[in-house]
Amino acid sequence: MTARSQRILFWALVWFCILILSVPTIIVVGASFTTANMISFPPEGFTLKWYEKIALARDLQQAFIRSLIVSTVCLIVSVPVGTLAGLALSRFKLRFANAIQIYLLLPFTVPLIGSGIGMMLIFGEWRVLGSLWPVGVALAVINLPFIIWSVSSSAGALDGDLELAASSCGAGRFETFWFVTVPGVMPGIITGGLLMFVLAMSEFLVSLLLTDARTVTLPVQIYNNIRSIITPDLAAVSSVFVVIALLAVWLLDRLVGLEIFLKSK
Amino acid sequence: MTNQIAAQNSATQSPREVAVRASHVTMDFGGVLAVNDASFELEKGRFLTILGPSGSGKTTLLRMIAGFQKQTAGEITINGKPVDAAPPHRRSIGMVFQKLALFPHMTAAENVAFPLKMRRFNPRQIAGRVDQFLDLVKLGGYGNRRINELSGGQQQRVAIARALVFEPDLLLLDEPLAALDVKLREEMQLEFRRIQHELGVTTINVTHDQREALVVSDNIIVMDGGRIQQQAEPVELYRAPENPFVAGFLGLSSFVEGTATADGNMQVGDLVVQGEPADDFAAGTKVLAAIRAEQIRLAGTREALGNCDMKLEGRVSDTIFEGERQMYVVEVGALSGATFRVYHHDPDSFGLFHVGDTVALGWNRRDLKIFSPAA
Repeated sequence: MTARSQRILFWALVWFCILILSVPTIIVVGASFTTANMISFPPEGFTLKWYEKIALARDLQQAFIRSLIVSTVCLIVSVPVGTLAGLALSRFKLRFANAIQIYLLLPFTVPLIGSGIGMMLIFGEWRVLGSLWPVGVALAVINLPFIIWSVSSSAGALDGDLELAASSCGAGRFETFWFVTVPGVMPGIITGGLLMFVLAMSEFLVSLLLTDARTVTLPVQIYNNIRSIITPDLAAVSSVFVVIALLAVWLLDRLVGLEIFLKSK
Repeated sequence: MTNQIAAQNSATQSPREVAVRASHVTMDFGGVLAVNDASFELEKGRFLTILGPSGSGKTTLLRMIAGFQKQTAGEITINGKPVDAAPPHRRSIGMVFQKLALFPHMTAAENVAFPLKMRRFNPRQIAGRVDQFLDLVKLGGYGNRRINELSGGQQQRVAIARALVFEPDLLLLDEPLAALDVKLREEMQLEFRRIQHELGVTTINVTHDQREALVVSDNIIVMDGGRIQQQAEPVELYRAPENPFVAGFLGLSSFVEGTATADGNMQVGDLVVQGEPADDFAAGTKVLAAIRAEQIRLAGTREALGNCDMKLEGRVSDTIFEGERQMYVVEVGALSGATFRVYHHDPDSFGLFHVGDTVALGWNRRDLKIFSPAA
């Protein structure tokens, strides 16, 4: 039993945190409806013209499509790699498992500017800079720990006897993996995959280093626009981002349930 | 349909054909012998229980038969063929796991169909066969339920159907009843027995529950410390334990130490206790006698005991009421203070004796087994 004053303090703290966390989003979304020609909050009047403008802006549209391509490449690379690595790290007693965990964390723990420059040098050497797919691959490498964690924690919760049961049912190693292990860690794969997609959609720093004028992705395009003049259409683009993130969370909740996502590290 | 299967099984099975043979099977976990030189035979269609306390090696032995672990020495044959080189999925063995290990992302019917798909059964026959086996475990109509929508007992039944649906040569049960509450456990024990009789499938069950072993089995192996202590039919095992461990593990026994006499009895102080020697031992060696709680008679006076080969006086040192029976702990001064635990099953006389009362104990010679304690 908590005292009344404790409850008031508790809820005050909760609401304070919720407010602080959502202030930037509220401001950006609010500002996107302003009728003024400069970004402002609270918005003056209400209009959807900035949404109309970004819907018609070719550069933003193309950047958005490029971002989708980059995110898809990132997904194609990271889901199989992250799933196998996550399973291996949690299911088998690997030698150097801890060392491998730390090694996989490196691209993420090294300051992003460092990893980004490293990637730029490698891709430049390979003469693939200027294509979109290296950006997706780079983002897959950098964010890989997220999907590995998510798959590992799913695999850790799996009953080890399931795979033995499959083999006593007559399933060979591959069949066991495909029909029992993969469906068993599917919540982790979906969670990790959506996370990878959203992170790749919104990644800025490494994308900035790996793209040029022909391959800018949406976050980089927004940055380029800010450098000239901050108009409310950027707030509208950001709002679209917010909606994409909300969609991802909604999808996650429908597919695996949010409580599983929140339990995975 | 089920009767057909049973008929096929009994038709293909000639009496005394050996289904499983283990010869000198040993599992050495880096110096720790989890299973130590275990040899046994199991006839086709019989229900064997491997009974032992935790750490006795019973589960390791089962896992070696299933193929999940490879023994460090010895050989296992199933239907006359050595299986040691075959991985689990190449052995015709159905298994029910302790935690059931049902596939959570499949329905009950999909779980039961899985072995048929993996073992390349004719796809057109799978659905009918799944229904047939769900009926066998009394889950007809539950096929479309998800595993987490079924009760514990129903999940047990799905696991049994999944283990049996492909008509394996051998069914293994790895303590699947251990986690159930008593009522459901007793119900499922009888179900295992019924299904096993109906299909005639050779079965090896592992448990630490002596009651379950006695209820379900045709044959029992008692294990301790990685060694097979005794293999016998339930009544035989209960009646004639070969060593003190078996005597103490099955039922409730009281033990008395003494010295062997020349005629195979036991001497404690000045008193000669008559009993039945269970091994050979020389006169003068130390021996251990065991008698079960229900084989001792208890009365207020020696006369009231009636006919007993051995009659003694003792003092009640504790009384424990267990519902269907009363247990008395009786200290016998004449046997240098040895204590006997005695069951009293007559509901009318519960509470007849109290702590401190002097009572008379009696038993028959054949009920007191005398062992050399080193065995």
